Amino acid sequence: MNPVSTNTELTTLLSALASIGGPLQWALLASAVFLGLVSFMPSLKKIRERALCVVVGLLATGEVALIWFHWRLYAITAVVSPVTGETTGHVAVSMWVESEKLFVWALILGLMALFAKRHRSELLPGVCFSLALITIGAVLWGQPFTEPLPQFLGQYRGYLAASGSGDINAAMGAYQGMESSRAYYYNTWYMWVHPPLLFISYGAFVMSFVSTIFMWIRRHSSYEETAYRWARLGYLPLTFGMLLGFPWAILAWQGESWWWSGKVNMSIMMWLLYTAYLHGRLYLRRKGMWRVVAILAMLSFLVLVLTYMTTYIVPGAHSYA
Amino acid sequence: MPRGEVGPVTRTNDTAAHRRPWDFGLTIATVVLLGGLGAQSFIGTLYSWWATRQIPLWTQNGYYGFVDTMNAIAAPQVLALVVVMGLCVPKRLFSRTALVAVSAGMVIAGVVVWAFTGSTAQGLTVYLTLAALIQVAVVVMTMAGARGPSYLTQGRMTKIGSGLLHLGFVIFAIVVVALQRSPFMEPVFWTSAVLTTVGTIMAFYADKFAVRRVRPVTPED
Repeated sequence: MNPVSTNTELTTLLSALASIGGPLQWALLASAVFLGLVSFMPSLKKIRERALCVVVGLLATGEVALIWFHWRLYAITAVVSPVTGETTGHVAVSMWVESEKLFVWALILGLMALFAKRHRSELLPGVCFSLALITIGAVLWGQPFTEPLPQFLGQYRGYLAASGSGDINAAMGAYQGMESSRAYYYNTWYMWVHPPLLFISYGAFVMSFVSTIFMWIRRHSSYEETAYRWARLGYLPLTFGMLLGFPWAILAWQGESWWWSGKVNMSIMMWLLYTAYLHGRLYLRRKGMWRVVAILAMLSFLVLVLTYMTTYIVPGAHSYA
Repeated sequence: MPRGEVGPVTRTNDTAAHRRPWDFGLTIATVVLLGGLGAQSFIGTLYSWWATRQIPLWTQNGYYGFVDTMNAIAAPQVLALVVVMGLCVPKRLFSRTALVAVSAGMVIAGVVVWAFTGSTAQGLTVYLTLAALIQVAVVVMTMAGARGPSYLTQGRMTKIGSGLLHLGFVIFAIVVVALQRSPFMEPVFWTSAVLTTVGTIMAFYADKFAVRRVRPVTPED
């Protein structure tokens, strides 16, 4: 591997992604803003449905572009031992890290909104508005096409620079860092399963939250049933995804105090609250219990949002994810 | 309860729920403990967010002290949660009097092991193992269609699912308490993960899998 030519290939790939994704980002932003504006206008029901289709279509197109980008990235990002000169492997960066997380969340929520049937007409305004917000966040904050994977590319470019510097100690240090990231983070099976499971649950919990709001306002149990159906769909991948994190964390974060890191704290809290909600609703017919259940459901969702934000604002083992 | 149609198909009626104050008490205790741990997690996160901004070099110097404090606060809550989780198991199988005796026996066994070994982890492991054994019996009896186990939910698939997922959680608790550094960690963990997931699917979606067996009508009927 020649660090200079690899760097040039990387730059070419990033330019290609920006040229495809730049206009797509603007189109997504415009359609998401439009979707947000028409969300709560009853007279524009048909237009809202079409705007939803457009946003989901653009998100799906963007995801295809990102899959292509990651495929090409894998081919380029070889890791070579500075001692033997042999390639030890490539970096397989999954499509739901760093700048791409909100994008995946938006796509999953959009698909759920498209296929939702129960109380569809009532839920859609709230869900479309949430989708618009997440999509706008994905475009403005994440910038997955114009500023992709800043942490990974920073690390890999640092590794390339160290490899080409002629300083064997610097090259060895950068190589070991890259190999460690590859073995315990990017290339682990876990990174290909854990985040998408959580994003499926996040999408379902948005649907559940909107339904709970309706239950609270209209005081009708059928909305509670809808909220529960979405919550159980979200709880299953949430539980399985979080459980999967345990053996991986023991191996990858050996010796680190990860139990009380911000993201782990908040994730456990979120799971505990959703568990409490699902247990609480077993007693839904007790007097006043529906209020407790509704408050638990809304609180759980609030914590979900905070859990997502924690990655960015509280340092800890998940900060780089 | 808001007006309108009846809620989930898996829930039993009011009277049955009122007949089980023990169930309700345990559920409330679980919710309170989960809420307490949740609140601690939230306050801890806020504190670490504040500390990293306000206290110089906190991540290097203060973080480990923070972890110790959090552990000390969480330990009694986690202990109580594990005990409550264990107490949730025999309630399916025993009558009120026997239930108190079995629950007390489990706690005493755990305390005795803790007193002899001086290890909270070993005491909890014994307690949880007893809970897991009872839960296995509950699941087997539910699968066999025995009348013994009682549930808040209805439908055999839902009950089996509920039994399996709670068994999965008890086994996961054993992994966390006792097997983190054991070579058995991975197989036991995967057993708990599969039980929890399959149990959750069955408990949530039993109505989707249910096969209704209709006895053909004969002239004698």
